Amino acid sequence: MARLNEEGQWIVLMGLLVAVALFFLALIVNQSALVGQTTSEAVLEFPKNDIRDLRSAIFDYAGAGRNDKVQEDIIAISLERKNALVSFTVGDSQSVSGHDLRPVEIHYNNGVTAYNETAFYRTDE
Amino acid sequence: MVNDAGQLYTMEGIAAGLIMILTAYIVVSTTSIYTTGDTHIPDMQLEQLGSDVLAMMDTPDSNGGENQLVEFVHNNSSIEFNETFLRYCNAKTDGTRDNLHMSASVTYRENSEIKERPLVAPDETWTGRESAVRVTRWVQLDKNDSRRDDPYGPRARAVLVEVLLWRA
Repeated sequence: MARLNEEGQWIVLMGLLVAVALFFLALIVNQSALVGQTTSEAVLEFPKNDIRDLRSAIFDYAGAGRNDKVQEDIIAISLERKNALVSFTVGDSQSVSGHDLRPVEIHYNNGVTAYNETAFYRTDE
Repeated sequence: MVNDAGQLYTMEGIAAGLIMILTAYIVVSTTSIYTTGDTHIPDMQLEQLGSDVLAMMDTPDSNGGENQLVEFVHNNSSIEFNETFLRYCNAKTDGTRDNLHMSASVTYRENSEIKERPLVAPDETWTGRESAVRVTRWVQLDKNDSRRDDPYGPRARAVLVEVLLWRA
């Protein structure tokens, strides 16, 4: 084939380029089915709602007089049903800038996501 | 004596090799069909919807008022819980109803034991093979609340309401 007649070389080369371009376009169409998978898996795995709910439960606990049994409930049930290691303390009320605030320390770890927070719960109102 | 007479043969060989590799790749990759169900997108949406519904039910209608979720757990009212939950999560913007179903249970602690008590039994659409998601919400029961009529014991306690949600 080589050296016989080389008139069509450019046409053959361009044909190859078009084929390669088409292949990459097909690859993009193929990948489009996967769009959103990583995002939705990340959303499913990240315990945003769990942490927000736990925070509000801890603030409820702080507001309802720091019952030890309630604290034990939250820690034990979190471990059993949510696979999350939870620890929290609510300290005594202290005066900060004219408000009575309880320091609240929250630690949460479910093996993938760790969350630590120090907040203040306002007791005077 | 070296010349370049074989150049085009080499190029042809490389092009043919590329085409064969690409063909093999395409053929192998077509054997697996990827659907939206595999991408967990509906699961993610369902879980967010369920969390939002529980958050709505856990919010009092007025300042200082009782919220629905606590009230349902207080009275152990299975039917009302089921109706309210499904009313919220089946509401669609065009006025039609979605086809979501739920079951619910309450997890509580008795000394060192974690116990689970069914609150809403699954309906007839439950086969065990649904792609269901679980959403949870903490509820705190006050010791001195006179409206309490729940089976979890008299002391103040935190219980976890767990809802299993699926599309039939």
